[in-house]
Amino acid sequence: MSLMLVRGLRKSFGERLLFDVAELALQSGSSYLLTGGNGSGKTTMLRILAGLETAQIGSVSFEGVTIPAGEICTQLSPRVVYLHQHPYLFSSSVAANVAYGLKAAGMAHAKREALVREAMTWAGVNHLAHIAPHKLSGGEKQRVALARARILNPKMLLLDEPTANLDEEARRQVAGLIRQMCDNNHCVVIATHDPELMTLKDAVQLRLENAALR
Amino acid sequence: MELLQSTAEALRLLMAGDAELWGIIFVSVKVCFLALVIATPPAVLLGFFLASRIFPGRRVLIVAVQTLLALPTVVIGLILYMLLSRQGPFGSMHLLFTQQAMVIGEAILAFPILAALTLSAVQAVDPRVAETARTLGAKPWRTSLTMLLEVRFAVMAAMVSGFGRVISEIGCAMMVGGNIAGVTRNITTAIALETSKGEFVEGIALGIVLVIIALTINFGLALLQGRGGSR
Repeated sequence: MSLMLVRGLRKSFGERLLFDVAELALQSGSSYLLTGGNGSGKTTMLRILAGLETAQIGSVSFEGVTIPAGEICTQLSPRVVYLHQHPYLFSSSVAANVAYGLKAAGMAHAKREALVREAMTWAGVNHLAHIAPHKLSGGEKQRVALARARILNPKMLLLDEPTANLDEEARRQVAGLIRQMCDNNHCVVIATHDPELMTLKDAVQLRLENAALR
Repeated sequence: MELLQSTAEALRLLMAGDAELWGIIFVSVKVCFLALVIATPPAVLLGFFLASRIFPGRRVLIVAVQTLLALPTVVIGLILYMLLSRQGPFGSMHLLFTQQAMVIGEAILAFPILAALTLSAVQAVDPRVAETARTLGAKPWRTSLTMLLEVRFAVMAAMVSGFGRVISEIGCAMMVGGNIAGVTRNITTAIALETSKGEFVEGIALGIVLVIIALTINFGLALLQGRGGSR
């Protein structure tokens, strides 16, 4: 059974058809590399899968349960987490950002503290715990965003160009974290052109071209 | 020369802790503070609601809030006077020429500033804020709270602007407060009175205080705007 199965996915902006996909089946524990030229709809597709953007959808199911197309985000988050190309960190502290989803889920402060520390250690941002996010570099922000998502143990992660605009060292670090998440039985869908990520082991290549997914 | 002498005398009055003078300053600050406390929660909620929800009549409400921004303070004073005077619908409450009436008037004046500035702040908030909150599992109310927290410096700046507007206005305070010595006389009404009597010393002293308050407010505003924009 697919983790997420989407049928009849069609997105257009006015007259312009962005893509028309008959079926998209994403499996648990698999990683996917979504590629395509500029404007091919990679970001839009990830946002639709996260429920942050509307589209014509025939049907969508998650773990075998049918989800109304208009309720993807409300029903699936935080089991499905989307990360922006330039992640937004709330203007509190790094630790508060990492803890955000757990707090939203109603977890008590004492219980989430250890999880936050563990997630920050994993992402190598423990030393930044009390720093204001606007003082972080692009790579550090991306690592904090990954920790903030990982702490929720999502079934599916949608990453939009996670290493774009990062320097060599930051790209290597972020790619390393993504590799770990892929190895950890998460379903990870990555829109990318980064050669570092293109070599992900066993990743399924999806290419958006001429409004179709190949 | 007379201006210099009057200013020197005014400074002496202030330094000497003149009870009447400081009483007037206290009335001003107290009334404005209370007005802000009353106006801020509903105004911020309205501003947020108008910025983040689409509903029929939204445009009309936004225009109404923006129109209230330009409403002369004497008009608000006049309407409030008519409502609170003995013949008015709220005459039985005996609020006219009291500090409570001034607080109501100043709260009405501050309301549109707070609502309009919150509205623009929330409209300008990065769309990734709500999306990030939602994808991390936040319920709608937490998403809204997160958005408000992200614009907290802008909301605080709106409060500072609101305070600036109400502490420096005279029309409404004069009409519904009545400029009663020791009760409803505030900085602006006292300056007007002293000037009309040709006694400039107290007027200048209060003017100095008002300018200091205005400078402090603008300094605070600049600081808040700097913090809000530093992300």
